[in-house]
Amino acid sequence: MAIFLAPLWSVLRQSLFDPNFTLNGYSEIIESHLFIKILYNTLQISLTAAFVTLIVGYPIAYHLSRQSPRRRALLLILVMLPFWTSILVKSYAFMVILGQDGIINTVLYSVGLPKIQLLYNRTGVIIGTVHFLVPFVLFPIMTSLLGQNPDLARAAQIMGASRLRIFLRITLPLSLPGVAAGGLLALVQTFGFFITTALLGGRGDLMMANLIDLYTREILNWNLASAVAVTLLALSGGIIFALGRVRGGMSAFGQAA
Amino acid sequence: MGYVFLILPTLIVVPLSFNAGTELSFPPTSFSLAQYRTYFFESNWWEATVLSFWVGIATMMLSLVLGVPAAYALVRADFPGKKILTLFLLSPILVPVIVVALGVYLYFASIGIKGVALPIVLGHTLIAMPFVVITAMAGMQNVDRNLEVASQIMGAGRLLIFYKVTLPLLRPAIVAGALFSFLISFDEVVIAYFVGRAGFSTLPVKMFGSIQWEISPVIAAISTLLTLLSLGVCLLVAATAKDE
Repeated sequence: MAIFLAPLWSVLRQSLFDPNFTLNGYSEIIESHLFIKILYNTLQISLTAAFVTLIVGYPIAYHLSRQSPRRRALLLILVMLPFWTSILVKSYAFMVILGQDGIINTVLYSVGLPKIQLLYNRTGVIIGTVHFLVPFVLFPIMTSLLGQNPDLARAAQIMGASRLRIFLRITLPLSLPGVAAGGLLALVQTFGFFITTALLGGRGDLMMANLIDLYTREILNWNLASAVAVTLLALSGGIIFALGRVRGGMSAFGQAA
Repeated sequence: MGYVFLILPTLIVVPLSFNAGTELSFPPTSFSLAQYRTYFFESNWWEATVLSFWVGIATMMLSLVLGVPAAYALVRADFPGKKILTLFLLSPILVPVIVVALGVYLYFASIGIKGVALPIVLGHTLIAMPFVVITAMAGMQNVDRNLEVASQIMGAGRLLIFYKVTLPLLRPAIVAGALFSFLISFDEVVIAYFVGRAGFSTLPVKMFGSIQWEISPVIAAISTLLTLLSLGVCLLVAATAKDE
């Protein structure tokens, strides 16, 4: 118990005492343009990434849910391997793929198209983040798709509904709790992103985790760093609370293991 | 298409690692083992790997010792606040790692412990243990309660039952938890980066520094080996799950 609480307690205490009780840390970050910009960045990146992840992840989850258990288990290896691959390996790979002389730009150049800037900017961060998040949203969506009663779709088919109509009126609405759980899970993961922004993002396009690092290690202001960390924790807490309210939300984050 | 997006970055590092040159070029122009030679024989990289290995082993042990009995209690015993305790034990999965890292950093600064290995191991245990708890709790579903009751009737004490009946039945779950907690620690960057200092860099921290400043081609070789490690762990876990 103690080893769980001690670190969090240290952060909370550091954000409030410096060395006497003070709310300066909080008032200073609220007035800081840098903090507001980074908070805005964090929310923008997280929301965009979570949204794109759902768009990318849903078809995969849908495809997986239609396979025989044997084939699904095999295809799941393709999902689990990147999930358990070091984030550094993934970031490095994206630098090779997206870089100025990377694979995509080499191909574009060889067919006579202009090179595009995909790295060290928002695009790079979003691509890297989405890739990291897809496995997290897959499981809740797949679970809710697998939990559906196939008779519903069959009945609709017999009554003459087209496949698109069945999907839009039955399958999709019934899977929405899974989508919500996956989306929230993706959001709470992205809030604390550090490595991806540091490696694939532009200089100055930071997220809150990078700001905590900056305050702790460069500026050596632990009070400010802790105030930012508590804010980040509160944001995550809000999402976790929402996750608890979504059906099957709490079991969602255990399934990855 | 989606599968390609998922798996491609993991695989792309493999051909790169056999490149001879010092700059990134794709497709590789020549075949060579130069990057692997640098990795294994240039002492810095190997030193970092050994350090990560021991940190990973220590994290694994600690996570198992704390996590398995916790999971056992959460499934078998009934006590007030059980739900809250479960949520609490699993919460480090959802708390941003950077907050855990800062917490460990501040905590050890405040109690004035100078060592570096201990804070890193404790930090890693915090984030790895929930995975042990989850896999062990899932494994407990397969442990037939009647077996425990039977041994109790025959006069075995609670501790004896736990060691002789429950633990052996939990073996696949424990193996999975052990492998995952080792891998989580072995690959972990943020806590090790925050708490570590010059001269005490785990492999991921050294990689992070190298990727950030000058991308050394050795990274491709290391990435390939790390991917192989992840693949090995995934397959091992799948194999132990099948034995059951």
